[in-house]
Amino acid sequence: MMEFLDQLWSLNMDRETVFGLFQQSLVFIIGMTAILASLGVILCASPIYSALYLIGNMVCLALLFLLFNAEFLAVVQVVVYAGAVMILFLFIIALLGSKEEKRELSFQNFTALSFVGLLFCELLMSMMVGETKPVLGQATPEVVREVGSAKAIGIELFSNHIVSFELASLLLLVAAVGIISLAKFTYKPLRKRTRT
Amino acid sequence: MGSEFVLFVSAAIFSIGALGFVIRKNPLVMFMSVELMLNAVNFLLIGYSSFLNSLDGQIFALIIMTVAAAEVVVGLAIILTIFRTRHELDVDRINTLKG
Amino acid sequence: MYSLSWLILLLPLAGFLGLSWFGKRFPKLLGGWFACAMVGGAFLVTLLMLAQLYSESPADRLNHVQTLYPWIVSEGFSLNLSILIDPLSVFMLLIVTGVGALIHVYSIGYMHHDKEFTRFFAYLNLFIFAMSVLVLAADFFFLIVGWALVGLASYLLIGFWTEKKSAVLAARKAFVMNVIGDVGMVIAAFMIFEHFGSLNYVDVFKAAPTAFFPNDDSILLITFLLLVGAFAKSAQIPLHTWLPDAMEGPTPVSALIHAATMVTAGVYLVARCNALFTMAPFTMYLIAAVGVMTAIFAGSVGMVQYDIKRVIAYSTMSQIGFMFLAVGVGVFSIGMFHLMTHAFFKALLFLAAGSVIHGMADEQDIRKMGGLRYAMPITFITFLIGSLALAGFPMTAGFFSKEEIVMSAYNAQYGNIVFWGMAIIAVAMTGFYTFRLFFYTFMGKSRTPEAKPHESPLVMTAPLMVLAGLSLVGGFLGPWVHEFLSPVFGGTFVDHHDDAMMEIIAVAAAFSGILAAVAIYMTGKDQLAFAKQMLAPIYEALFNKYYIDEIYDFLIVKPVKGIGKFMEERAEKLGIDFSIDEIGRQVREVSRGISIWQSGKVRIYALNMVAGMVTILLFVIFM
Repeated sequence: MMEFLDQLWSLNMDRETVFGLFQQSLVFIIGMTAILASLGVILCASPIYSALYLIGNMVCLALLFLLFNAEFLAVVQVVVYAGAVMILFLFIIALLGSKEEKRELSFQNFTALSFVGLLFCELLMSMMVGETKPVLGQATPEVVREVGSAKAIGIELFSNHIVSFELASLLLLVAAVGIISLAKFTYKPLRKRTRT
Repeated sequence: MGSEFVLFVSAAIFSIGALGFVIRKNPLVMFMSVELMLNAVNFLLIGYSSFLNSLDGQIFALIIMTVAAAEVVVGLAIILTIFRTRHELDVDRINTLKG
Repeated sequence: MYSLSWLILLLPLAGFLGLSWFGKRFPKLLGGWFACAMVGGAFLVTLLMLAQLYSESPADRLNHVQTLYPWIVSEGFSLNLSILIDPLSVFMLLIVTGVGALIHVYSIGYMHHDKEFTRFFAYLNLFIFAMSVLVLAADFFFLIVGWALVGLASYLLIGFWTEKKSAVLAARKAFVMNVIGDVGMVIAAFMIFEHFGSLNYVDVFKAAPTAFFPNDDSILLITFLLLVGAFAKSAQIPLHTWLPDAMEGPTPVSALIHAATMVTAGVYLVARCNALFTMAPFTMYLIAAVGVMTAIFAGSVGMVQYDIKRVIAYSTMSQIGFMFLAVGVGVFSIGMFHLMTHAFFKALLFLAAGSVIHGMADEQDIRKMGGLRYAMPITFITFLIGSLALAGFPMTAGFFSKEEIVMSAYNAQYGNIVFWGMAIIAVAMTGFYTFRLFFYTFMGKSRTPEAKPHESPLVMTAPLMVLAGLSLVGGFLGPWVHEFLSPVFGGTFVDHHDDAMMEIIAVAAAFSGILAAVAIYMTGKDQLAFAKQMLAPIYEALFNKYYIDEIYDFLIVKPVKGIGKFMEERAEKLGIDFSIDEIGRQVREVSRGISIWQSGKVRIYALNMVAGMVTILLFVIFM
């Protein structure tokens, strides 16, 4: 925070600093938007609106990924997460109907709020640990930009992390099998059902 | 500024997700709060992978996304099944495992 | 050769185990004769031991200890499984197995109609085994083991007819009084171990003369405690009340256990521990005094009883009193001699009484009997012989042993004129009640003509005849007995048969008793009624056994029952039960409180998780 303000005040108008300032302020704005969107998720009465706010949050995060040099993942986030998973969510909400629920000020909610607040503070404590020193990792933005983000991730994934990759694919298979057995997609003739 | 801000945003979204999970009664909204938490973690990972110049964070985030996708599908199927049998969208009323 | 002596123990034990496990699979009579064979075998082995002992010189006959294996081996205390073969144990065993074998044969006839035939013989063999353990024990430990086993066998056999409530109660009474004696014995054993460092007979008796001053406090206590055991087992005052009630058992049981063998175990104990008792002359006086008082007490009560077995039971009590008198004044071998002759004629009397009961279809009241001398001739003659021997008619076995006792009461080391006088009175009483019983049962006319008594089969009368023969000639074995047993009792035997005047007085006493019985019972009824009227209060007291049972009930039984009831209601129900139940109830309450946590609501669980996470993070950050 302080560096931002210092940089701002120094009025150093060369390309990198301006670009850096612009990037940083963009990060700030989009980050705040993401936080507001997530507040919207939990505070809305209707589930549809919550879902829409969640999509908004995910898009903001995708933009943030872009700003942090993770292009491939930004695309994956939009296409898979916001695109497939949330659409599934919306379908289910449409199927099940959305009842508006009223928020209550119960003691349980109050304790939840206090505990979560405590959690937030504790998480923030990690800010006080100290500076993050860039480890001598090889994937500097320039190196990555050379081969392209997707390729870089691909190389990394299929050489160092092949086991996790295979396990993830197995997981998807298991999930698919689980769905089918859980949802019991059998053919049932249409029958008149009385309203319960 | 970058790294502390990433931490701040991630912590905030995570706490908001946790709060949403405990406060809301609709199972779908609770699930969405879980997605929020996962997203927050993803963001943290990617932010720090950029600061630490390593691709491990991104790969981990990718795997998390995969897992989250699978989990969402299964969880929604469960909620669907519960709804089919009990026609209930209030998590507090599904407490037959009590005692 | 001495190692064959283990067979004396093993044969009856095998009989007991075999009959109890396999008895039901074989025909009844086979089981019965099998049991007899086992005891007969034990008797033969005992004879073998006798012969073996005779092949050695008298001094060598002591201290033959056969050890099976060392059981407890530790510093300061060691115990071997061993048995002692010496003149006293062989003598006692001859009586136990010999008379036991005869009674086994008799029981085949007596219990023939009983449906628990096999069980009876199993228990009889158990008893022989237990008595052999008691007699053959080489240390106080196995003596007490045998003591307790014999008490158990007595309990099982008295309460044999489990459907008879009176029998079960009598068995319980006998066992409880026996246990009182057991306690005394055990404490005595502890004290013996403390003083002598060993429980072995050999060690203890060798050390006894030098270990104490005479009439030292500890030896007095040890011998007194041993006496408690002896008196409980031998039914002397004040632990005698179980013996008359023990007549609820079958007659062979009364003959074997409560006449010939078990009740004489007390006398055997005193004889065995003579080394200890001679160091405590005060206890010896006590033994003689209690013995002679019991003799008079039992004799007086026996004069007015109407149950044939009860009269003989009181007679047994009285005669054992005589035996204790003998060992109390210091003439141990005379006491053992009387034990032997008494075994003969008392077993004979019981078996003959059993024959009468069997013939009269289980009738035991002598007021309903009479004139049996025509219906049951063999029983009549054998009963007569037994009665003569009991009363001390000259030349019968009882005469010799009783004479010796009466004279020793005056002449022996601890004898005095009071003992002698009381002994004479007891002899007179003996004559009276014996012949009263005889006249009621066998003479005169039958009082219940419709009963149709019949003579018993040979298997029952043959032992009667053998025992009758022994009662006649057994008296002449006296000198052999004294000589055989003398090494055990210090090696000297002094014959007190010098004073002819005392002999005549004793014989006259016996005859006076007999004549009194003749006078009252043989010469018409009005004498009896007249006597009864004159002595009515005394008669009441005697008939009710001096009310001792009632006194015990009031003083001991009722308070103990009261305490038991109190403890059950207060201590047990309100105290222990309540507190344990309370613990259970509290656990349930706590768990009910905790189970509220498990509400089944997902949100609460999530809240718990968040709270947990927060706490852990707190620890992680601040530690």
